[in-house]
Order: sequence, then structure tokens, then C-alpha cells
Amino acid sequence: MGMSLFKYYEEMQREGVILYFSGPVSQSIVEGIAELMRSKMRAEDAGVAAVQRVFAVLVEQMQNIVRYSIDRHADNGEQIGEMAYGQVVVGRDADGRFFVACGNKVETADCSELAEHIESLRSMSKDELKAYYKECRRNPDCITDKGAGLGFVEMARKASRPLDFDIVPVDGSTSFFSLKVVTQ
Amino acid sequence: MTKYSVQATTSSPEICFDPEVMPFEIKGESYPENCWAFYGPMFEWLDTFFSSSNGGLVEIDMEILYFNSSSSKMFMDFFDMLDEQAERGKKIVVNWRYHEENESAMECGEEFMEDVEKIKFNLVEYTSN
Repeated sequence: MGMSLFKYYEEMQREGVILYFSGPVSQSIVEGIAELMRSKMRAEDAGVAAVQRVFAVLVEQMQNIVRYSIDRHADNGEQIGEMAYGQVVVGRDADGRFFVACGNKVETADCSELAEHIESLRSMSKDELKAYYKECRRNPDCITDKGAGLGFVEMARKASRPLDFDIVPVDGSTSFFSLKVVTQ
Repeated sequence: MTKYSVQATTSSPEICFDPEVMPFEIKGESYPENCWAFYGPMFEWLDTFFSSSNGGLVEIDMEILYFNSSSSKMFMDFFDMLDEQAERGKKIVVNWRYHEENESAMECGEEFMEDVEKIKFNLVEYTSN
């Protein structure tokens, strides 16, 4: 990698990126980045509702990295908790809407279920999402052990348009999963 | 019975349940790394509390600025537990407190209210701290 980060900076500017993080994510990084974005948005007089939505989506996305990225430290001691590699981007689309995108490696074997779950959310109306959210909140079968299913429903409810996602094979057993949520 | 008390952190709320002093309080943010590890001891304390309480009014103030989806599930389990106690004759009131500008906290309160049956669930708007 070359010394100058200028070309990355320019590209980020062009894409409306406010924050870009690539590296190991732990709970303390989740807290730090989420609080940082909240302060920045408040300082810029973004509406309370918009700040809340970005904060909520950012926390769900980053906690998914911590729980599900398979690119992780095998053992990092009890104090730090789980730590997993992923990417986080917050920015504004051309129309001014905030987006939160995250990416991390997942098992290829889990991808069809993941894609099916998100596709089904993409086809639901706001009312259907609300009903499904309430159903999942009470029904343990609806969600995985760590609660990911409900997080996706939560993000879909806070989004202004269906969730955008992408799965790219990395090698035989690993794929890269990206999810972009454009908030209301 | 001794009180149950936990201090707030960046991602977890302050909890203060004192059998001698109403209301019980849960106040702050809720997106801990592991919700079950955080709320598990609270549920255990409540089990003991309800099995030994004399049936007086139990009032719980909840003022949660933000909670993640795993916490949402925990709170639903919490309200279901309270509903079950109310069904058995306990008098239980939950005051869901939210700042007037925090529309999302209000909507979340409404959705919990729609899903409980026996407890009294109040939405309480406040204007400043």
C-alpha cells in the first residue's frame, strides 16, 4: 500500500462518506463509533429522529459484525470480549439521506439462509414488518441464538427503502456479506 | 430482601430495585454486548422478589434512551413476566418514560403497550431532565 491516503480520501468525499472504519470491532468500538456519530449529527443539527435511526442501525450492524464475522480472534481474553474484523461506512446519499453499510466475512454455508431472510424482509410492507417484528420478539424459533434475525427486522423498519445486500464468494467456504441500510 | 442495584455504563442502564422504595427504576441506554448476561441476574432477583412479596403495588419506571433488538426481546420477556404476576393478582404498573422529542422511544413504548394485557402500562412524556 502506498503512503498517500489522498486517493482514498477523494473517493470517500465523492461517495458522501462521513465515516469509514475497517478493522477489528469489539463492543467498545461499537460504543465509541455510535456515540461519535451521535455527537457529530447532533452538532450538525440533524433532527432527533434521524440521529436515533442512524444510531440504532449503526449499533445493530456493528454488533452483527462482533457476533457473526467469521474473521475473528480465536481467543482474546475475557476483558475485551469478542473481537471480529469488519467494515463500517456511514454517509449521505445524493438526496441527503443517511446510510449505514457494513461488511464482514461469513460462512458460505450460511449464506442461502441469510439471503432468504433478507429477501423476505425486502418484500414486506411497513405494517407487515411491524407484525413480523412483534412475532419474532416473542418467538425464539424466529431468531438465532444471538438474536440476529430481530436485528435485521429492526433495520428494515428504520429504512426508507428495502435493505440492499450483496454476497460475494471469497473462497470455497467463505463469502463476504455487505448490507446497506438507507435510513428514513 | 436486599435491593438489586446496578450502575449505568455507556451501553447498559442503571437498575435500582429496592423493595422498600417505589418505584423501581431502569434508566439509560441498553445495547450491552450480551443482553442475557446483563439482564439474567435481574430476572433471577425478580423471581425471588415476586415469590416473597406480599402483593403490594409494584411500580416500575423505565426511561430508556435507546435499546437494541436483543434488549427489545429482553424487555418483552420482562413485561410478559410482569403480566403473568399481574394475572396471579399482583398490582403492577409500568411507567414508560420518554423525552418529548424522542419519537422512537414513544413508538417503542406504544408497541410494548399493545402487547401486554394485565399490567397497567403508562406512556409518560417529559420535557426536560
